[in-house]
Amino acid sequence: MSSQPSFRRFLLLGRPAVDAVLAAPGRDARIDVIRGLALLIIFINHMPGNVVSAYMPHNFGFSDAADIFVLLAGVSATLAYGGLIEQRGFAVAGLKLGARLWTLYIAHIAVFIIVCGVVATAVTRTQNPLYIEAINIQPFFRDTVEALIGALTLTYQPSYLDILPLYIVLLGLFPAIYYAARLSPLLTLGFSLTIWQAALVFELNLPNGSAGTWFFNPFAWQVVFTLGVVIGRAAQLGIRAPRLIWLDLAAVAFIAFAWVVKVSSGNPTGIGALNDWFDSVQLGSDKTNLAWTRLLHIGALAWLAIRWLPAGATLAKAAPGRILAHAGQNSLHVFCAGIVLSISGQIVLAETSFDLGVQLLICTAGVTILTGLGIFLSWYRSITKRGASAESAPARGAQLPRPSLSSR
Amino acid sequence: MTKAAFQPNLPAARKALQETGRLTIVALGSSATAGSGASAEDKSYPAVLQAELSRRLPGAEVQVLNKGVGGQSAYDMLLRMQADVIDEKPAIVIWQTVINDAIRDIGEEKLAKILNKGIGKARAAGIDMILMDLPWLPREGRYPHYDDYRAVLVKTARDQGISLFPRYAMMKGWSNSRQFTPEELVGMDGLHLVDAGYRCLALRLADGIVAGIGPVRIEAAGGGVKPTN
Repeated sequence: MSSQPSFRRFLLLGRPAVDAVLAAPGRDARIDVIRGLALLIIFINHMPGNVVSAYMPHNFGFSDAADIFVLLAGVSATLAYGGLIEQRGFAVAGLKLGARLWTLYIAHIAVFIIVCGVVATAVTRTQNPLYIEAINIQPFFRDTVEALIGALTLTYQPSYLDILPLYIVLLGLFPAIYYAARLSPLLTLGFSLTIWQAALVFELNLPNGSAGTWFFNPFAWQVVFTLGVVIGRAAQLGIRAPRLIWLDLAAVAFIAFAWVVKVSSGNPTGIGALNDWFDSVQLGSDKTNLAWTRLLHIGALAWLAIRWLPAGATLAKAAPGRILAHAGQNSLHVFCAGIVLSISGQIVLAETSFDLGVQLLICTAGVTILTGLGIFLSWYRSITKRGASAESAPARGAQLPRPSLSSR
Repeated sequence: MTKAAFQPNLPAARKALQETGRLTIVALGSSATAGSGASAEDKSYPAVLQAELSRRLPGAEVQVLNKGVGGQSAYDMLLRMQADVIDEKPAIVIWQTVINDAIRDIGEEKLAKILNKGIGKARAAGIDMILMDLPWLPREGRYPHYDDYRAVLVKTARDQGISLFPRYAMMKGWSNSRQFTPEELVGMDGLHLVDAGYRCLALRLADGIVAGIGPVRIEAAGGGVKPTN
């Protein structure tokens, strides 16, 4: 029961009460498992029109896997780089963060080139131009020089290649958000919301190509990331979520409400004044600039996950959780592989006229490859680490606890 | 399909020309509007349309704004309707869409709702709308619901009394008549209109728009005396 004042103190001042009972810090499998799941969902959803995607979460709620991915990016960045800031200081953490940003950038460029190659091959073999349309890759073929410069400066992003640039920008902002959250999580969230709303009013976004803007507006999506940083900061300090039954119920009610809204067609309440609202949320929620419904939905999901999913390693004990955790721990590799696989999958689906058997086969094969990649990379790291630690263990002494986010 | 007549009803355009001598058109769309496959920016259909209308409406100041963003769905464009269309205060908006919705199979009912909303917004702002039909594809079987989505587009246009530019019929005609080689028709990427195709599309649009406006006395743009030099 002492957790509530401690939580309030954290929100305002970024610190727990001196006498608060803190949770033991340790690796939290929830992050890896949920992130692994989000990666698989993103893969399925990136093949629109396939039958499995009709069962993915965006059909049953306002937020989707992208929101989860960005939120967890904030949580795990805090555990990894926030932890490093506390233990080694800003200089070391800043260098590590810079190295990570570079890795993300290189990964983005590599995926860009590979996807262009895959689509070019498909189009010349099949004479179907719509592959180019679907991925908005035409600028690359029309004006390669300009598109290449655009790709390198992140000002040209084909469809599906828009999440990593967002991640790069958000991670670049991480130190500022983290230091702010250390002072006052509540003020930080307030400031973050203000920037979002101001960007909406002034129509701020970064440019994409000659006429477009970023699909994920960083001025809007920093809100989800900041929420993740605050959650990560609480986890870092070992602050437990207070037992607020009313908030649990409100979260469940909101998620249930979203479910009803999304699966019904039209307005089930019969209140005429709400017709327009129902219409607008059923047609789609504004992903580019975020939408209040999205934010509330991801907030409700996060709250329930923090409160009710078992902390610690429990979630990754059984086989499905363990498999997902491996994918989540190697998120960058799995994500990049998933993009290339899903775009290849789109092409195969069209060439086979969306045959049901092929659809199921592609989804199964993709999920198998992606989870297999996660398991392989975890194994690879464990055997290479074993050799490395044998050499350097005596010199380095106590190792830092490895943060939950795989930053490699 | 026979050659469909295309003569849109354009009261707002007519009024704008009569009163101000200006005609502003927004080309809202995805990559066919942006100019996919064209060899240069000025070969996209909106650019050719602007040149063609300027020639055919002497004295008028014609501007065709290209608001094409590749890969966008009808919903993406509905979100842009205010900033990219209504705020530009055009007399006409040419909306080229549905292709990405058909590819992604977003649901026919949903598409109809989105189109109706977009049409409603333009109508409320007093803008004349022209919808553009889907392109004809050499192998539609890749997208089993292609015809169904096209039917939604055709039906929505009819129900709303909006003229539909018969791009599908035009392209199908080209492919049958062999006026173009397959390469010319589709270019390297299979089916995007290349320069020749965009040009034909823009000319047919200009025909329709000029006919739709009808004979009109154009107030010289800016109301001033033309400088002589």
